[in-house]
Amino acid sequence: MTKLDDLLAYEVVEGLTEGQFTAEEYVISILKRIEEVEPKVHSFITLDTEGALSSAKIIDKKIREKEDIGQLAGVTVGIKDNISTQGIRTTCASKILENYVPTYDATVIRNLKENGAILLGKLNLDEFGMGSTTEYSRYRPTHNPWNLDYVPGGSSGGSGAAVAAGECTVALGSDTGGSIRCPSSFCSVVGLKPTYGRVSRSGLISYANSLEQIGPICRSVKDLVMMLNIISGKDAMDNTSMPSSPITVPNKLNKLNVAVIKELITGSDQEVAKSVFSASEKFQEIGFSCEEVSIKNLHYALPSYYTLASAEASSNLARYDNIRYGFDYPIGEYKWDTYFSNVRENFGEEVKRRILIGSYVLSSGYYGKYYLKARRLRSLLRLELLTLFKKYDLLIGPTMPILPFKFGEKIDDPIKMYLVDVNTVIANLAGIPAISLPIGFSNGLPIGLQIMAAPFEEQKLIDASYELEKVIHIQRRPNSI
Amino acid sequence: MIGLEIHAQITALNSKLFCSCRGNYRDLRPNSNICEICCGLPGSLPIINQKAIEYSTMTSIALGCKVPDKIMFYRKNYFYPDLPKNFQITQYNVYGISSIGIDGKYELDEAKQIRISRIQLEEDPGRIVYSEGGMNVGNTALIDYNRAGVALIEIVTEPDFTSPKEVRQFLNKLSLTLEHLGVCDTLLEGSVRCDVNVSMNGGNKVEIKNINSFKEVEKAINYEITRQSSVYNRNLNIELETRHWDDKKKITFKARSKEEEHDYRYFPEPDIPVIVLGSDFVANLKQRMPELPNQRFERFILKYKLSEHTSNILINDKKLADFFESTLKLHFSPTEIANILVTDFKSLIEDDTESTDYLKNLKVKPEHIAELAKLIEGNKISRITAKDILVKIFESGKLPSEVVNSSNSYKIADEKTIMDAVQSVFDTEKSAVEDAKKNREAINFLLGKVMKFTNGRADPKIAMRLINSKLSDPEKQ
Amino acid sequence: MISKEDLEHLALISRINLTENELEKFPKQLDKTIEYIDILEELASDDSINLDLQELRFEELRIDEISLSDDKQLNKNITDDGFLRGPKMK
Repeated sequence: MTKLDDLLAYEVVEGLTEGQFTAEEYVISILKRIEEVEPKVHSFITLDTEGALSSAKIIDKKIREKEDIGQLAGVTVGIKDNISTQGIRTTCASKILENYVPTYDATVIRNLKENGAILLGKLNLDEFGMGSTTEYSRYRPTHNPWNLDYVPGGSSGGSGAAVAAGECTVALGSDTGGSIRCPSSFCSVVGLKPTYGRVSRSGLISYANSLEQIGPICRSVKDLVMMLNIISGKDAMDNTSMPSSPITVPNKLNKLNVAVIKELITGSDQEVAKSVFSASEKFQEIGFSCEEVSIKNLHYALPSYYTLASAEASSNLARYDNIRYGFDYPIGEYKWDTYFSNVRENFGEEVKRRILIGSYVLSSGYYGKYYLKARRLRSLLRLELLTLFKKYDLLIGPTMPILPFKFGEKIDDPIKMYLVDVNTVIANLAGIPAISLPIGFSNGLPIGLQIMAAPFEEQKLIDASYELEKVIHIQRRPNSI
Repeated sequence: MIGLEIHAQITALNSKLFCSCRGNYRDLRPNSNICEICCGLPGSLPIINQKAIEYSTMTSIALGCKVPDKIMFYRKNYFYPDLPKNFQITQYNVYGISSIGIDGKYELDEAKQIRISRIQLEEDPGRIVYSEGGMNVGNTALIDYNRAGVALIEIVTEPDFTSPKEVRQFLNKLSLTLEHLGVCDTLLEGSVRCDVNVSMNGGNKVEIKNINSFKEVEKAINYEITRQSSVYNRNLNIELETRHWDDKKKITFKARSKEEEHDYRYFPEPDIPVIVLGSDFVANLKQRMPELPNQRFERFILKYKLSEHTSNILINDKKLADFFESTLKLHFSPTEIANILVTDFKSLIEDDTESTDYLKNLKVKPEHIAELAKLIEGNKISRITAKDILVKIFESGKLPSEVVNSSNSYKIADEKTIMDAVQSVFDTEKSAVEDAKKNREAINFLLGKVMKFTNGRADPKIAMRLINSKLSDPEKQ
Repeated sequence: MISKEDLEHLALISRINLTENELEKFPKQLDKTIEYIDILEELASDDSINLDLQELRFEELRIDEISLSDDKQLNKNITDDGFLRGPKMK
C-alpha cells in the first residue's frame, strides 16, 4: 500500500470517505515524513502539529457520524507564510512581522476550512515574496528535495519543496512574477497562477497588488482542479475579484491549438529547450496542432515588471512601522520618523532595494519615464497576447530558462537573479492564467513546461495538462530524501 | 487672491469610505470603531462605498462640475502615525481626469462666480492627541483610529475670492447646499476643515492650514491679510510657506514643514478598479437628488406665491423651510404660515440656531402653527392675540385652540361689545377724539386704544368702522 | 548615476535606514537596475491603448451598511483609555 503521505489529494478524500484509513493516521504519516525530511529541506516557518491533529480528530468524528466532511476533507495543506491565518503567526519571512498574529483568515483560508482541509502550517518564502530562491528569507533558505544543494525556486519555495517532499499533500503559494511557477518547475510539481481576479486576494499580504494571485501547488492536475475550484470566486472583500466557472477534469480528449513562443526557446538552456520540444511533440502525438510564434514586445516585459512591482511594493510595505503590529522593538524615546526608519532598517537587502527603486520610479519627474511606460507595455503586451489567443488556444514554452542552480550562484547580482523570471512575468503583466507542469529532468534536476491561456480559460490549461500528464510519466517522489 | 480647499466629511453615510465600520465616530471609546481594513492590517483590501460615490456626485452636480464617465483612485504616499497604511487613498487629476468633479462654477450673490477646480473623494486619517496637552517637545502621541477611513469630499476652488466677506458668503452658501443635499452636517464637530491660500499684490501664495470650522475662516483670512500687508509695507518679501491657524491665539504661525519632500509619489490605487459610472448616471442622479437651495427658492415663489424676501429667509434656514412645508401639508395657506414663521416664530428661536437639532427639540410642531393659521384666517383671533398665543405655545406645547379657550382670547366680533369698548375709549381720550376729527391719521391711535382695552381681541375692522361712524356722528359721542 | 546623496534621499523618503554595508554597495546595484529599466524609454508615450484589467460598475459597489468587528485588531501598546501609544512627535 502506498504510504499515506504519498497519496494525492483526491486519493486521500476517497480513502477517508471509504474508511480505508483515518484522518489521524494520515496526518500522523505526514507528520512523520516532516520529521524525517524537514531537517534537510526546511520548508516550514511555523508547523501547527497540535492544530493539525485536532482537526484530523474532528474529521474522523464527522466521518463516523456520517456528517458532510467537505470536498477537501482531511487533506493536509501547507500555506505560504504571506497568507493571513487567524491565530497563526504570519511572518512573510521577515523580521518586521516576526510577532504578527493575524486577527482574521484570508478568504482562501476560510474556503479551505469550510471544505474540511487541514492546515498544517506556514511555508517558507523569499521575504515579502521578493525573490526566486528563498535565499532572501530571513529564516533560512529552503532546499530543493531533488538535490539539496540546489535552490527550490521562489518565492513560494517552501510550498514547492513541501509538496515535492511529501510534507503536505497540497499547498498554496502566491505568484507575482512567477513565484508559484518557478518553484513548481524547480521542484517538479504542478503549480498554477490563476487569471488575475479569479481568486480573492483578501488576506494575501501585498507585494505588488496589480500583478499577484494566490494559486495551488500540487502533485497532480486532478488535485489542482480540486484546489482551484475551492479557492476561486468573486469575493465581497476584494474589489478586484471576479466571478468564474468551476473547472472540471476532462473526461474526453479536447484537441487544442498550441503555439510555442520562439523567444522563450532561444533564451533557454539547451537541456530545457530539448525537454520543451519533446513535450510539444507529445502534444502533436495526441492530436494538438503545434506552431511557432513570436511575441514582439517580450524584451520590455521584465523591465516593466520590475518597475511596476517595485513601485507597488514601495507603497504596500510603507505600513510596516511597528506601531500597530510587528516585532519586538520598543518605541523608547525616539521621535516618530526616526523610529520608523530604525524599525525599517530590519527589512532584508532585497526588500530594501525594491522599495528604493520603487520610490525612485514614482518620484515626480520619473513617473512618465518608467511607471507610465511600464503600464503602457502592459496594455501592449496584453493586446498582443489576446490577439494570439484568437488564433491559438494555448501558448507554451519553458517555465524557467535555466535548470535549478546552486545556492549563492546568483545572490550577489540582483539583475542576474531578476533574469530568472523572464518567462514567467509575461502572464502577470497580461493578467492571464499560466500553469507549470513537470516534463522531465536533466541530471536529476527538474524541468517544467509553462502553458498560458486567455483570461479565465483555465479549463483549456487543465485539458492540455491532464493529457500531457497522462503520457509523460514523471517520477513523483525524490530519491534523495 | 484667495483660494479655498475644503474637506467635508460625508456625515450622511452609515459606514466609512472603504469599510463597514461606523461613519460617525464621535463619542466612542478610542479604537473601538476599527477593523482590519481601516487599520491597514496586512492583507486587508479597501472596499469602496456606493453611497459615497452618489453623495460626492451630487455635490459635484450642485457645484456645477463636470462628472467624468469613469473615476479612479490614487495613492498619496507619505508617512505619519495617524495614517494606518502610510498612504492615503484619494483622487488625482494630473495624469488624467480621475476625480468625481472638475471645472465647476458656483454663484455668489452679486453676479460673481467662483470657479471650482475639482471635487474629489478621499479617506480621513485617524487622530493624534497628545499626552499632557500639546504637540510639545517630549510628548508622546496617543493615536485613535476611529476616524481613519471616514469619507471626505475635498472641494478646491480657484483663487477667485477677493475679500474675506466673499469667502464667508461662499461658505454659508456651501453649508446650505450641503445641508440641502443631506451630504454633510456642517455643525457636527470636526465635520469640516478648511485650508486657505492667500496671495496679495501678485506675491507668493501663503497656505493656511488647521482651520477647523467655517466660522474661523474669515478671522484667519483677515489676520493673514493684515500680516501680509504689514510685511509688504516694510518692503519685505512674503515667503512661499505654510502657516497654521491657532484658534486660541487667533494668529497664523509658520508651521514646520511636515515633510521635507512634497513628493507624494502618486500612482493609481491597484486594489480598486476603474469605476464606470455610465452615461446615464448623472442624469438619473439629477432627477433623484434632493432639491438645491436655488431650486427650492424658485419653487417657493412659483408654487406658493411667496415674495422673494420671505422665500429668502426660509431658504437660508433649511430646517425652517422644512417646518414650513410640513405645516403646509396640514393646512395649505402659504402666505399666512410663512408670515408667522419668518416674523414672530423666527424671533422666538433666534438664540438657539447653533445646535443641529434645534427645531426638533421645540415643543411647537407644525400642527400648532397650522392651527394658529386657521384661527387667524377664520377670524377667530386677531394677529396681535396670535403673537401672544405663539409665546404661550412655545413654552407649554399646548395647541393654540386650548390656549385660546383657557385664556378667553377669542376675537370679539360682536358689535355691542366692541361699541362698549369704543365708548369707553372715547370717554377717556377726549383730546385724542378731538384730534381725530381733524386728522384722520389720529384714528389709528384710537383704534390702538380700543384693541388694548379689549386685550387685542376686538375685530379691528368692526372697531374701525364703529370709531369712524362715531366720529362723524356728533350725536353718538 | 545614483550618488550617495541620492541614495540617502531615497532612504529618507522611504523611511529606511541603511547599514554601512548597504550604503557602500547599493549605489552600484541600484544603478544597474535603473540601467536595466531604462530600456522602457524606447516605448512611445502615447496613451491611446489603455487596457484596464478590470472595471467596476456602480451597481456592483458595496452597500452603505454598518457591520461591526470586535476582533481586537490592535493589541500592543494600548493605554487604559484605549489609545494606541505612539512615539514622540517632536
